[in-house]
Order: sequence, then C-alpha cells, then structure tokens
Amino acid sequence: MSVIGECLVAFVFGSIVGLLVQRSRFCNTAALRDAMLFKTYRNTKPLLMGMMILTFGFTLFLTFGEGKAMHFDVGLNQVAGLFLFGIGMVLAGACTVSTWVKAGEGNVGAMWALLFTFIGMFLFSLLWSENFWPPASISMTGEPNLEALQLGFINARTLQDKFGVPAVIFGMVQVFLLGLIYRAIVKKEQAQLLEHDKAAAANKVELSEAA
Amino acid sequence: MVALTLIAVLDIFLFLLVGAWTVGGGETMITGLVAQFFLGDELSRIPFWNLVFVPDAGYWKIYISLGMLFGAIVSAVLSKEFYLRFPRRLGEWVMITIGGLLMGFGIRLAFVCNVSTFFGLTPQMNLGGYLAISGILAGAWVGSWIYKKVLEG
Repeated sequence: MSVIGECLVAFVFGSIVGLLVQRSRFCNTAALRDAMLFKTYRNTKPLLMGMMILTFGFTLFLTFGEGKAMHFDVGLNQVAGLFLFGIGMVLAGACTVSTWVKAGEGNVGAMWALLFTFIGMFLFSLLWSENFWPPASISMTGEPNLEALQLGFINARTLQDKFGVPAVIFGMVQVFLLGLIYRAIVKKEQAQLLEHDKAAAANKVELSEAA
Repeated sequence: MVALTLIAVLDIFLFLLVGAWTVGGGETMITGLVAQFFLGDELSRIPFWNLVFVPDAGYWKIYISLGMLFGAIVSAVLSKEFYLRFPRRLGEWVMITIGGLLMGFGIRLAFVCNVSTFFGLTPQMNLGGYLAISGILAGAWVGSWIYKKVLEG
C-alpha cells in the first residue's frame, strides 16, 4: 500500500475509534484503576472482550502468515516502561487514547497531559542518545541478548513454526484464559449486587422498626 | 461493550492492511517533527532522531492519533458535549504534568503504550505483551495508591 493510502486508512480508523470511544466513554486507565481502587469493572469487561476478539482474529491470520504483526525484540524494558506508564496514566487520569479523545472534547487537562507526554518522549530521546538502551530495532536479532536484558522475539507465529501447532490453537487457549477472568469478574459483580441487596433489605427492616 | 467489539473487528482489518492499532509511535513522530521545526538540522545531532525515529510526516501512526482527535471533536460537537474544562486545583495540574511525563518516557522505554500492550502485542501472543501487562498492572497499582493518598490528603 502506498504511503498516502496507509495514512488515509489510519486516519479513517482513528476517526471511528475517536467517535466510538467518545460515545462509549471507554477508558483503559479506568479499566485498571477502577478495578483496583473501587472494585468496579464497567471498563474492565469491554477491555477483556476486545482482547478475546483480537486474540482469535490475529492468531487466525498469523496461522496463514497474513497480517502485519509487531516485530521487535522484547525484554526488561517493556516491564519497566509500562510500569512507569501505569503510574503516569493513573496520575494523569487518562491513557494515550483518552488523552486524544478528551482533548477533542475540550478538556484542557488532557491537552496538558499530551503536551507533557511529548516532552517525556523528548527527554527519553536525550537519555537514549547517551546510553543506547534499549537496543534500537536496527540492532535486533530476534535472539535472546541477555547482556542488553533482551529476550528476543516470540509470538503466536514463532510458536507455530517451532512446535508445528497452528497459531490459532495457542490463540484459543489464550481466549479461554481471558474468558475465565471475564467469568470471575461477572461472578464477583453478582456477589456485590447480592450483598448490596442484602444491605438494602437490612436497612429497610431497621427503618421500619424505628417507625 | 458494543464500541470495543466494533473497534476490535476494525482493528483486525487494520492489522491485515498496515498493522494493529497503536498509539505512541505517532506521538513520537509528532514530537520529532515539532522538535525539527524548532531545532532544524541541530536535531539530527541527537542520535535517537537519526537511528530510531527519523522525522517523517508520512508515518501512518501519526494519522491514527490525529483521527482519534478529529473523531472525538466531531462526536463531542454533535452530541453537544464539547466545552472547555480546566483542572481546578493546583494538585491536579501537578499530577497531570508528572503523569504525562511518565507516560511519554515509559512509552519510548518500552516501545509500546497501553494500546499496543492490550490490543496489539498480547493478542499476537508476543512475549512483550505479557511483560508489558505485568509492568502496567504493577504501575497502575502504585499509581492508584498515590492517587488515593492525594485524594485523601
């Protein structure tokens, strides 16, 4: 696909996502924060649902060698980077998607968060230029490089090539596991609802006794 | 739920055409383009902008981000939800500033953001997805703890 075609497809996709996220008020930050702080899962469930659909879709196409999978070596930098990111998104009250969407709604705080995301990236570029870690993609080999704290490149497709089992089978296992988490959340919600009803009923009895 | 289902299906098409939904690469390129605008050729003396991200306005990931902004503006205006809102307290400004810096720094350190973690790497069963999820869960936990302390304090 031509460069302009790619950019156009990306823009159309982005626009639809912006529209859907604005309407649905989905927020990845809330999906994690609310589950941890308030034990509410309004955003966690759609996150899991999306992951299940994508796992099936991606691994199905990877089985046939279709699709453009992300290809780079991974290692400790993913853990460290997303750890910092996780703290940052809760403090900023928005992730990368919701900063753009909230900025589009006129939220100046989100625009401010975006501005500092850019500044954070620039600061990182200066630091990287000093120590060259994590390794740039041009120096990646796909093999573990323990000296650079890198574990190489592994995804559903490399598993298929190694074990001769179609990638989609691995995908189905992951879908099943995500489904178990989903079911556990639904059960927890039902228990919360039951407890809430009980508390409300007890409250009612007390009130009627007082009267 | 409906929204995320639709996004997931569209994302599969995007995966076939150019690559899975990702945010972060686009932002980095925007950062590079803005820095190039102000610094000119000076920028290429910083190795990162020579070796990792060479500023290029034809990078498709930029347009996902601009699209999300555009889609949100259209949607907010149509539903009459567009109005300027400002964080009220100084504490909020400080938290947002620190949060933004940590997000930008973290994205570049990890090569991925939360979107690629949950909707890109993990569904491709890339090892990086699981590493990133363990990081973001721990980070969100620490962030929630700080957030709670600030709310109470």
